[in-house]
Amino acid sequence: MANLAIGRRRLIALLLLTSVLLLTLDLRGNVVFDRARDGFALVMSPFETAAQVVTRPAVNAWRAITEYDDLLDELARLQEQVDGQRGAEIAARNAIIEHQRLLALNDLESLADIPSVTASIIGLSPSNLDQIVEIDRGGLQGIETGMPVVNEAGLVGKVTQVFPNSSLVMLATDTRYAVRVKVLSEQTPVEPTVPPDTVPSGLEVGDVTTTTTTTTTTTVPEPVVPGEDEPGDDPTGADPTGAHPAGADPAGDDPAGDDPAGDADAPDDPFGLDGPITVTTTTAPPVLVERETGALRGQGQRRLPMVTFVSSSPTLGQINVGDTVSTAGGRESLAPPDIPVGVVRNVISRPGSAGTELEVELSADLNRLQFVRVLLFRPLAEVES
Amino acid sequence: MIAALVRGPLGRLVPVAVVLLALQTTLFVDVQPFGVVLQLLTAFAAAAGVAGGPERGMLAGFLLGLMFDLGTGAPLASSSLTMGLAGLVAGSVTFLNIELRWWLSAGFVALGAAVGEFAVPVVRYVIGQEDVFSEHLYTIVPVVAVGAALLSPLLVPLGRWCLLIGKVEWKVPNE
Repeated sequence: MANLAIGRRRLIALLLLTSVLLLTLDLRGNVVFDRARDGFALVMSPFETAAQVVTRPAVNAWRAITEYDDLLDELARLQEQVDGQRGAEIAARNAIIEHQRLLALNDLESLADIPSVTASIIGLSPSNLDQIVEIDRGGLQGIETGMPVVNEAGLVGKVTQVFPNSSLVMLATDTRYAVRVKVLSEQTPVEPTVPPDTVPSGLEVGDVTTTTTTTTTTTVPEPVVPGEDEPGDDPTGADPTGAHPAGADPAGDDPAGDDPAGDADAPDDPFGLDGPITVTTTTAPPVLVERETGALRGQGQRRLPMVTFVSSSPTLGQINVGDTVSTAGGRESLAPPDIPVGVVRNVISRPGSAGTELEVELSADLNRLQFVRVLLFRPLAEVES
Repeated sequence: MIAALVRGPLGRLVPVAVVLLALQTTLFVDVQPFGVVLQLLTAFAAAAGVAGGPERGMLAGFLLGLMFDLGTGAPLASSSLTMGLAGLVAGSVTFLNIELRWWLSAGFVALGAAVGEFAVPVVRYVIGQEDVFSEHLYTIVPVVAVGAALLSPLLVPLGRWCLLIGKVEWKVPNE
């Protein structure tokens, strides 16, 4: 650089100053630049469409080469996950319906009440730093800057720029993204004391309606001695798992007299422990408890978003790994409350006033976005004004 | 004047940049070696620098950066700085005063692209964005540089054509 001529130095200085000027004007917000962006997007649109069509074979070939093994692994994993979630889905649907009914009953707002626009991803960020995607719905469909974007799994990000027929969405992993969230954790209620056999009125316990509890029965099978009848060998169709509450022998299941209580060796086993040992535990359903609120901030593509400004309240208990995180809402918040965000993966305790920081694994897989929903939500403060 | 602009480098650079930007926002966001988006426009700015020297490279980079920022929603002129720097650094190859072999061009295009890409988080940090430096940068910069080097056999002649530069002919001095 020693032989940089004066003209060259002037040119460098001129371009540098121009860049700084443009940057300053743009960061302060400039209508002319916004219009220029809109116009440029309009001009670029046909070129991008053409490039997409022309390069599709090359992209498909690349994906076939690089993603085939991953795809097979993913397929197997998802199949396993689907099998596992079938049962949970039914229970979750019932819970959601009940939740909606309760909200409606109490005249409370829920996510289902907020109109939304479904959009598909048409472009990813061409930068290694920005976490921005482009969707195929824009201002003509009612989308406005700041609206939250979700998918089936949870929060995806927010709209940052709106064009007539497309919009840019900043993902929750972008370093400029921030949203108020609350941390929820499951808390099992304290076991109630064992109720008496009778209630004061003298009624039997079985005659009294009690609160719902979940009963889990675990049966430890009796050690199998070769030559003896194995539970599964019972030709009479007796329940091989023995998954019945103690003493609840299904009628007719044991006509062959295999009932342990009626075994010939019963006198040697006065407590009936010779047969399958049945342990019955009663647990109350877990209750979601709101621990604390904080601000979720993106940390870039390969790092988990972080919740800051959290102070774990001893009265509410500690925040643990696995606790769920959802949006907190509020008058000024751009996102409505109760959008699932993810689960706590790491709890980082900072000394002093820094408080606790949480690393959150997002529920939505932002690397595999195809369709998203833009919630046409406006903050309460804005609606009122 | 407009005719002169159209017939000049601008008339070639802008349409080429539009096509390259379209490729950048489509093909190169899908084809990501090692999870890195190859920076076609930064590579082209560096190639223009190799073809036309530091000033032209810097000017080309400035223009390409403006178009990139307009098209992607990045802070306006932030990429102008980085791509201009890429063109300037790559253009310093002309100080060597030797015949440009293909591998030398590729090397300087790679160097320019690497410097330009490294400057992206620096510029973002200067304008107030936080958490822009990550360990992934150690992967991003080399991959972008290698990608630029591989593309240089196409981009350097394209840059030469855009900047209206004839191929350098070396003549044996008369005795």
